[in-house]
Amino acid sequence: MDGACLEFAGKASAQPSLISEADERSLIRRAQEGDRVAFDRLIRLYDQNVLRLALQVVGSPEEARDLYQEAFLKVYRSIRNFRSEAKFSTWLYRVVMNVCLDHLRRQNTRKEVAVPAPQEGEPEFFQTVPEERPTLDPERATHSKEIGRRIQVALERLNPRERMVFELKHYQGLKLRAIGEICKTSEQTVKNCLFRATQKLRMELGDLA
Amino acid sequence: MNCQKLEENLPLLLYGELSTWEQAAYEEHLAGCASCRAAREKLERIHQVLAQRPQVEVSAALLAEARMALDEGLESQQHGWRALWRNGLPILRFQPASGFALALTLILCGFGLGWGLRPHAGRLTAGVGELNNAGVASSDLENMRISGISRVAPDPQTGGVKITMDAERRVTLEGSLDDPKIQQVLVYAVKSYDNPGIRRDTLDALRSHADNPIFRQALLYAMRHDPNAGVRLEVLEAVCNMKSSDDVHTALLEALEHDTNPGVRVAAVDALIDHTEKEGCDVSTAQALEHVAKTDSNPYVRLKCANAMMKLGK
Repeated sequence: MDGACLEFAGKASAQPSLISEADERSLIRRAQEGDRVAFDRLIRLYDQNVLRLALQVVGSPEEARDLYQEAFLKVYRSIRNFRSEAKFSTWLYRVVMNVCLDHLRRQNTRKEVAVPAPQEGEPEFFQTVPEERPTLDPERATHSKEIGRRIQVALERLNPRERMVFELKHYQGLKLRAIGEICKTSEQTVKNCLFRATQKLRMELGDLA
Repeated sequence: MNCQKLEENLPLLLYGELSTWEQAAYEEHLAGCASCRAAREKLERIHQVLAQRPQVEVSAALLAEARMALDEGLESQQHGWRALWRNGLPILRFQPASGFALALTLILCGFGLGWGLRPHAGRLTAGVGELNNAGVASSDLENMRISGISRVAPDPQTGGVKITMDAERRVTLEGSLDDPKIQQVLVYAVKSYDNPGIRRDTLDALRSHADNPIFRQALLYAMRHDPNAGVRLEVLEAVCNMKSSDDVHTALLEALEHDTNPGVRVAAVDALIDHTEKEGCDVSTAQALEHVAKTDSNPYVRLKCANAMMKLGK
């Protein structure tokens, strides 16, 4: 799994690990001894990617912020239990993934399909995403928005574990082995999960393809 | 290699997750199988659709907000009870031997405590038994509130039954208001009892003995702090009949300026006029009336204060 999560960090963009493994180990050790400054420096290496992942999963900035906080508070409470046999990034993303899974499960019990409904007076979620192609004509923009909505609905129809595996594989670009380590499961189980997710998405989005 | 196997591994093929030889085998199958090629093209198109999902970018503001919220959470963690466990007792958590020693110490303390309390155990049981078996009169039972029955044991030999229950016995105290026990209970009722009706009855009993310093303090306390406006109003009337003194005057000014109920504030104005007529108008009363006449949220209270000032010639 060496480098798997660094690859993840790289693909998820903009927050590359800027310190050596030795420096990271030193930060981890100091954080485990209760050094708050070291803990802050350590999580700053990953927190932007964590927030992005949370935002990708839940859609709402407020909920993403809550997940971010919940995840890092858990990390803070349990960092003493971290053993350096595993990579810190794997351990961290395991915590993050569990927090996201819990959130998705709670969400699934609340509603059948969690379409990110806009609040009254607020723009729709996808309208808040910066448009990188300002020259698009309105008709095409509407079409893109509709496709975005369909994708979101299709993703939300996956069960929480399928959703997380698919997010980590398809959108974050993690290797199956890394996902297996994060999920504490075998690579074969991840493959099966990914296959089921792909099948469901093929059914949901088949008419668009 | 067959079509089903390829279909199962198609996503892995597109993600580049297959070994070189697996990939070569699948490519060979695809070259000769039109339906599998169609399946791959279909999945590739699905991937193209999925690629149209808008990229989520974390704004600097959201990141800053999240970091700030986390900082607050971490601060509370550092100073909360968890910090004691995390920082204060690390040895116990990480040293199994220390944990074992702690467990052993707790067990020994438990035995020690049990052994030490052994002589009292009979007495405690007797106390409970005394209430059960010492012939509780039916009149007592009427005055008893049963809060729980823990055991009902029929006795086949006697045909009787043994009931173990938790009960509160109602006690009636009777005596002079000079009796310190009575005074203690009355003061408790004024300051702490939940039922406003009981508090009002208690204050009624106290108002005729307001010359007693303990009751006087209890009445002034109720006028300032009783949560029920009706009770405060009645106490205020009682306080008006008390002998004038600085503490009464101060309490009336406080009621005028700070009581939340406008009815009580109006009564305080009347009480202050009475007080001033008896004792003369002092500067603090005039200032308080002027201030409330200008600032009170209730127009009637403001009018009342203005009239009081005219009456007092201010």
